[in-house]
Amino acid sequence: MSDLAPADTALLSLDGVTSGYGPISVLQGVSLAVRPGEIFALMGKNGMGKTTLLKTILGAIRARGGRIEYQGRPILGAEPRALVEAGIAYAPQDQPLFQDLSIRDNLRLALPGDRQLGAALDRVYGHFPFLRDRLGQKAGTLSGGEQKMLIIARALMMQPRLLLIDEISEGLQPSVVTRIAQALRQEREQRGTTILLVEQNLRFALDVADRWAVLKLGAIEDAGAVDGGAHDRILRHLQI
Amino acid sequence: MMAPPHSKESRQMTLLLDIITTAAILFIIATGLLTIFGVLKIINFAHGAWLTVGAYCAVAVGDLGWNPWAALPVAFVTGAALGGLTERFIVRPLYARPLDAILATWGLGIIIGQLITLGFGRDVQFTKALLPGTADVFGTSYSVYRLFALAAAIAIGLGFSWLMEGTRLGLSARAVIMNEALARALGLDTRRIRWVTFMIGCGLAALAGTLLTPLTSVDPNMGVAWLVGSFMLVMVAGQSFAALALACLLLGGAQVIVSTYVSPILGGITVAVLAAVVLRISPKGFSRV
Repeated sequence: MSDLAPADTALLSLDGVTSGYGPISVLQGVSLAVRPGEIFALMGKNGMGKTTLLKTILGAIRARGGRIEYQGRPILGAEPRALVEAGIAYAPQDQPLFQDLSIRDNLRLALPGDRQLGAALDRVYGHFPFLRDRLGQKAGTLSGGEQKMLIIARALMMQPRLLLIDEISEGLQPSVVTRIAQALRQEREQRGTTILLVEQNLRFALDVADRWAVLKLGAIEDAGAVDGGAHDRILRHLQI
Repeated sequence: MMAPPHSKESRQMTLLLDIITTAAILFIIATGLLTIFGVLKIINFAHGAWLTVGAYCAVAVGDLGWNPWAALPVAFVTGAALGGLTERFIVRPLYARPLDAILATWGLGIIIGQLITLGFGRDVQFTKALLPGTADVFGTSYSVYRLFALAAAIAIGLGFSWLMEGTRLGLSARAVIMNEALARALGLDTRRIRWVTFMIGCGLAALAGTLLTPLTSVDPNMGVAWLVGSFMLVMVAGQSFAALALACLLLGGAQVIVSTYVSPILGGITVAVLAAVVLRISPKGFSRV
């Protein structure tokens, strides 16, 4: 394992985190740190614990051991509401939208009130202009790619400090993946948003990320910076 | 010109108005139960007890010599306040065990009934008529109060539509109904939404109890019979207020027809029997409305 930032400079750090479901242990002592303003790609095949890791950070799954810190403070056991108020947004993979609510209402729910709604909508229109003309449309009637863009738009509505994204590129055509990648890069450049990206799409991950780690059987198998050798190193882990 | 009271036209108009106003009364009674079921996913079996509490609010207001209309806000506030305490101390610890929560509300209903008996006695009581007399409806003389009940049901339905579609609380409640885990992940205070919803549901049940008092006698067990009908209507309606209105109209209408042409005793079980038949044929009932 290499190139994992020391926890004292990290926005988000995990130290020896273990968690799972009932008698099944999924995370077997995960340690990693995400620096402020970086895009960190957590790679791994299905069933390796990537989503479990995100849900453990968010408190949806109770950690059995270890320590998770955000901005230097422990967040294990914190209410999801407190994490959102602290600036953590989540773009989930499973049941990520309120299908019977309009696009507008899905976006509204990312904010605590409607006072900032106009400005927040204008901001996300910059990334995904199609939303402007279809605010009244039910989210469930959007295409798969449009739904994924709406998920990212909703997460960006609250101007998060840390954005956790779960396999957003899965099943998407390349043009949509490119638009999402552009949006994430712009958010990072313009607002310094830190992003922890859980992915299997190697091309997308290396396109946007600064650093990466591979999660295998609930533990970090390898990690490094996105450089010339990253592709082959990660691919080797994903193929085995 | 008013039709003779025993003419065919007058009887048909009276039957039609009975169907509509009975549906309205059933809607008023079942709305609170559906509200709680939709958001909290539990059937509040103390619903009948909250309805009885509302009816006794009308009795108490009468005993105090207050304006009988004051019973409406008094009942809603009393029901909501007691409902808030119930959610906080009885229902909330049991959210992870919905069956236990249902049993707890059933037990609470029995306790409330006993407390009312201790406070007011077992005797049947009556309250002052809020709106006595009849009005001419297309040539047929009809109870003003039952027409008021229809207006109240429409007002409650419109008020709820506004609350759910036009307010932030309603949007949050719909989000919790659709996907509570996602609502929580977005930072919605689902605990508060459940609490407020339970308060509103209990307040509505008590309000329904007060609205019933000019139509029926008041006794400590009056809510039980209404609970059964409301429960079956909510099962048929799923989580939809439009479906509830339709269920009240169809099943309540059948109740009136059976009571009028067959037997009032059979009419009393019509809603429950038809609801069971509907659910047997279509397990989702009218919930797609």
